[in-house]
Amino acid sequence: MMADCSFGEVMINALARTVEDSTLVFHGYGSPLVQLALHVAKRTHAPHMVLVAGATYGVNPRPPFLTPTSNDWVLDRGAECALDIGELFDLGASGRMGRMFLSGLQIDRWGNANVTMLGNENLQLKLPGGGGGCNLSCDAQHVTLWTTAHRCDPAPRDRRRYRLVKRCDFVTSFGHRTADGRTRAELGHRGQGPEWLITDLGIFDFNADGHLRLRQVYPDTTVEEVAESSGFDVVVADDLSVAALPSPEVIGIIRGLDPIGVHLKELRPHDRERRFTVRLAEAVEAS
Amino acid sequence: MMQASFPLTADDKRIDLDALAAYVKNGDCLAVGGGLSSRVPMAAVRAILRRGVRGLKVVGSAHGIDIDLLCGGGAIAVSAESYVGFEQDFGMAPNYRRACETGDVKVEDSCCYTVVQQLRAAISGLPFMPIRSVRGSDVGRLNPDYRLMTCPFTGEELTLVPALAPDVALLHAQYGDTHGNLRIEGPPVTDLLFARASRTVVATVEKLVSTEELKELGGANVPYFYVTAIAEVALGAHPTACYPLYAYDRAHTALYYEAAKAGPDAFRRDYLTPFVFDCADHADYLDRIGGAATLTQLASWSESPATWQRLYMDRVS
Repeated sequence: MMADCSFGEVMINALARTVEDSTLVFHGYGSPLVQLALHVAKRTHAPHMVLVAGATYGVNPRPPFLTPTSNDWVLDRGAECALDIGELFDLGASGRMGRMFLSGLQIDRWGNANVTMLGNENLQLKLPGGGGGCNLSCDAQHVTLWTTAHRCDPAPRDRRRYRLVKRCDFVTSFGHRTADGRTRAELGHRGQGPEWLITDLGIFDFNADGHLRLRQVYPDTTVEEVAESSGFDVVVADDLSVAALPSPEVIGIIRGLDPIGVHLKELRPHDRERRFTVRLAEAVEAS
Repeated sequence: MMQASFPLTADDKRIDLDALAAYVKNGDCLAVGGGLSSRVPMAAVRAILRRGVRGLKVVGSAHGIDIDLLCGGGAIAVSAESYVGFEQDFGMAPNYRRACETGDVKVEDSCCYTVVQQLRAAISGLPFMPIRSVRGSDVGRLNPDYRLMTCPFTGEELTLVPALAPDVALLHAQYGDTHGNLRIEGPPVTDLLFARASRTVVATVEKLVSTEELKELGGANVPYFYVTAIAEVALGAHPTACYPLYAYDRAHTALYYEAAKAGPDAFRRDYLTPFVFDCADHADYLDRIGGAATLTQLASWSESPATWQRLYMDRVS
């Protein structure tokens, strides 16, 4: 038997697999892929996760569907209880938040991310800002980074606008080390920093130095494509593999929760067209 | 005491919307309530623009159309918000971006927990609060008033953030009474902290009820003695949501966004003029956004999950 899935579903599945059971996990706002990933994790391998919804701070909600914005009562329906902004961030500061998800218009090789501004000396592009991401990048026990725009438009190397950069113009959320080499251990932060980076081209972890390392590509991407679209030399893991595809159960959860297709807004047109064939026996094994 | 006069004990604090907006003066540090597409005091924001207020410094956590509209109307000089955007729904905030990029608005971006700790310092009567985070990021570069200290108990290095007492907190609640008690339903965002930290607190409410009715609804979460003035403004959060009364007006927000994206002239012509400056009052605005028919549609969320979902699907551009 065969089933078809989309790239969005593959990426949601990959994000979900970074969640451990029985931990407190928070997703921010403006991130439907992550919202869906947490609901997938909660309904599959992480039933005891404490799921805190971004913007509403509802705990373990069962939303009937995903809405186009995050601070909507749809998204805290069925919640067991709710936190307020102080309590949520206190949980982070005291080291009791297991995982947070962060993204950036620039992500550097140490996992620093920029959602504040582009331009080195002068501000060229003002981005929305990081919400509480700066705080939680330091405080949350683990961070999963993601971006849906790793693939660069073809242009000569010196004029290419990379998403994965050697150095961020501005560091909104802290990764493993600063531009001048200070580590999070030296800074005394509670959190252990970024653990994963899920992109439209591959899945990275971080090596012992805190540098990005390519662990997986997708069935339709290659190490060469990853290298072409990265602004630094890509470190590749010895045991590079191909990312797992979602099980039919996971695909069903995603389609049930997002009938409007809110998560497609996060994907670029090319990535919305990517399709994969899941052989059911493999999918069962992978889940 | 941080408030000009405290406690605020007047028996009847009712005022009209324009008089309420007049509490916001040129150059004030303003905390706008609500967050993203929910329970934002938009009618009051429009009234502030009609008054021609200039030079505001805005502070807070997660914002969108409120700060973008104030930027588009030229009211803001400094933004110390943590986020200003339309999430994945429409993306970046066009007027805010332009104002920051031209230098009309000075960028002093903050982050949510830093704001929380700064408000807590003000609420506690302390000059600062410590936080562990921020170091390692560049956020401190935009906030030269942060300081580092070595903890005298543990020897750890910590960041100190100064107390933040906004001049005015501008809130919108579902319910309130004439005494000034406010009942905010659903996620309070930063409002409960704003109410306790600010020098002046003014609020619009969907419905003024008796103190007894307010208790029956579940009780106040902002006690009256923090509140200076209150105005009943039904649909006062439109086009953001104010559940349980109405959902987010995505179609109007799309219209707003398209006008803002098209540039400052288009924004003035297609949005500021018809929906802010040419509106004689809030009732006039409500006529212009579709009147009772729009309200009926936005209130239909509560009929069933299917009608709730259809609200977004019908109104998705």
